[in-house]
Amino acid sequence: MTSPQSGSSGASAPGEPHSVSESNSGRRTPIGEYLFAALAAGIGIYVLIAANFIRIPISSNTLGPRSFPYLVGALLLCAGIAVFVGVRRGRLGEAEEGEDVDSSSETDWVTVGKLIAFFTAHAYLIQFIGWPLAAAVLFAGAAWSLGARRLRLAIPIALALGFTIYFLFGRLLGLSLPAGPLLDWIPFF
Amino acid sequence: MDNFGQLMAGFATALQPEYLLYAFFGVVVGTAVGVLPGIGPAMTVALLLPITYTLDPTAALIVFAGIYYGGMYGGSTTSILLNTPGESASIVTALEGNKMAKKGRGAAALATAAIGSFIAASVATVGLTLVAPILARWAVTLGPPDYFALMIVAFTTVGALMGKSVSRGMLSLGLGLFLGLVGTEVLTGQQRFTGGVPVLADGIDVVLIAVGLFAVGESLYVASRLKSGPVALIPVTKGWRNWMSKEDWALSWRPWLRGTAIGFPIGTIPAGGADVATFLSYAAEKRLAKKDRKAAFGKGAIEGVAGPESANNAAAAGVLVPLLTLGLPTTATAAIILSAFQSYGIQPGPLLFQNQSALVWALIASLYIGNIMLLVLNLPLVGIWVKVLQVPRPYLYSGILLFAALGAFAMNFNYLDVLILLVVGLVGFLMRRFGYPVAPMVIGGILGPMAETQLRKALAISQGDLSALVTSPFAAVAYVSLVAFLALGLFLKHRQLRMESEPVDADEVSAP
Repeated sequence: MTSPQSGSSGASAPGEPHSVSESNSGRRTPIGEYLFAALAAGIGIYVLIAANFIRIPISSNTLGPRSFPYLVGALLLCAGIAVFVGVRRGRLGEAEEGEDVDSSSETDWVTVGKLIAFFTAHAYLIQFIGWPLAAAVLFAGAAWSLGARRLRLAIPIALALGFTIYFLFGRLLGLSLPAGPLLDWIPFF
Repeated sequence: MDNFGQLMAGFATALQPEYLLYAFFGVVVGTAVGVLPGIGPAMTVALLLPITYTLDPTAALIVFAGIYYGGMYGGSTTSILLNTPGESASIVTALEGNKMAKKGRGAAALATAAIGSFIAASVATVGLTLVAPILARWAVTLGPPDYFALMIVAFTTVGALMGKSVSRGMLSLGLGLFLGLVGTEVLTGQQRFTGGVPVLADGIDVVLIAVGLFAVGESLYVASRLKSGPVALIPVTKGWRNWMSKEDWALSWRPWLRGTAIGFPIGTIPAGGADVATFLSYAAEKRLAKKDRKAAFGKGAIEGVAGPESANNAAAAGVLVPLLTLGLPTTATAAIILSAFQSYGIQPGPLLFQNQSALVWALIASLYIGNIMLLVLNLPLVGIWVKVLQVPRPYLYSGILLFAALGAFAMNFNYLDVLILLVVGLVGFLMRRFGYPVAPMVIGGILGPMAETQLRKALAISQGDLSALVTSPFAAVAYVSLVAFLALGLFLKHRQLRMESEPVDADEVSAP
């Protein structure tokens, strides 16, 4: 099943020079690559099927609400298959480079997971503890996940940032973010 | 129809103290955020959207113009002073500029980039002033089939030319089109792909798509492979008055003008945006260099900074031409600006110059003003931007995430928008991880619904006759030139990829 060229894009060994040809030199099957392409093709199939269930009103003229979704679904399906076949033939995606990206390191899923958790927590917490505190949770949590060394520094910064943005936006830009039940009783908020 | 008079009226508006302050604010914030590593112009504009939510349209667009140009300036500072190239549009600048900085000539590189950007943006803004009204007057005659053709051209070129492979670009485009489908469809009011979730009935806002893909996606991606250790910055010598020697000026002025001449036209056509322009300018400078200078390329040639940097900014102004006159965004940044316009109930397009002429001319005038502010600000303030570059990375990316979440929440004060943002961001992360370009997805998300509307209008007029889509003369020309664009674009991209892989090798050899 494995094609001879297959390898994982981001998994080149540390210290290895990073270039177009070399990024294909890993030996593992690029499962993530296959999954993403398959997922896109899957969305394409879903769009093609689900488009059949869009109600067409009697008033609709020549081209109803289904036609464009058919085109989009077909595009996604074809592109997904094309990428999938490309990966089988060894044409792997090159992970993006950037100023702060260490192209020799492997994906650190734990950090990504922590960030997702704090982001989700932030979204849910806004209604319970108000925006400024929820913002502090997101900032401090993200800084901790990303390896900020001193939490004693991160938490005050997070609180200061949350309240500064809250007041700046509320006073200067007239965008009143919710203070939440915890702070609402203070007349200042 | 006196454009000059209208431009002067625009200046009269933009020069009011209040609006001058807004322009200044936009320029400073745009540069400061654009300087931050990993933040390109598109992300700068997307992240700063919330600060314009409550302003009046004129003020908001003036702030926006400042942010747009400021973000472009900031990006070049980053790529010259940091060790690794960042956003693709300034990758060529990074090649030579970074080498110059390492030799202790960072100040000269920054100066030639800033002055070149100023000249290019000024000339290109004049071009915009002259071309846009004419184009707009002509574009009024275009019908739905013509617009549909234009959008197909934009889709195809953007999907095929951005990113490294056509199939990946198309997949990204398809995902954007899909997100654009979600919601209540305009013509007959049917809900599509909402899964019965009420928050999706209004559709997924383009701001969510852009901020999610750029800000959240990029932060998650960087987080997954964050460089450890201190930030490697190249120190810049003090004293900005003697940054550029006479020789530097002599070597720079021709590339500035050539870069402008290359950048502006390329910006106006849907050919992949500033990337292609910077690359073409670099190639041109390399070829035109005299013998003794040719050897300097790859080792810190000032022409290699001056030309591409000018081309980059000229293209940025060029992109505004199709955006303002046709409502057609050809880059991700333009797509975000378009959605900002729409959030004020302003639809860019041929009628913009008639219906909102005061607003448009104030915007164009503020482009001139912002550009002068940027030149004045950038040279003396480099010291501050260097400080900005040193923000510890954990705090930097936490801040980006927080601002992204704020932008999503502040749209409707609904926490579900923040969760949608996270999901889009996760997709953006995976796309970066597996080498998909994200720009086509943003453009698909905003242009998709517009293209569908035009297509259905066109077929309603022709009563279902598909041939109406190609029989309009303009549409026919558009489809033919699409083929030409694609052939030329793919050829250029092929050369660009080859060129990009060369200096990397040179780098390996020269490294100690």
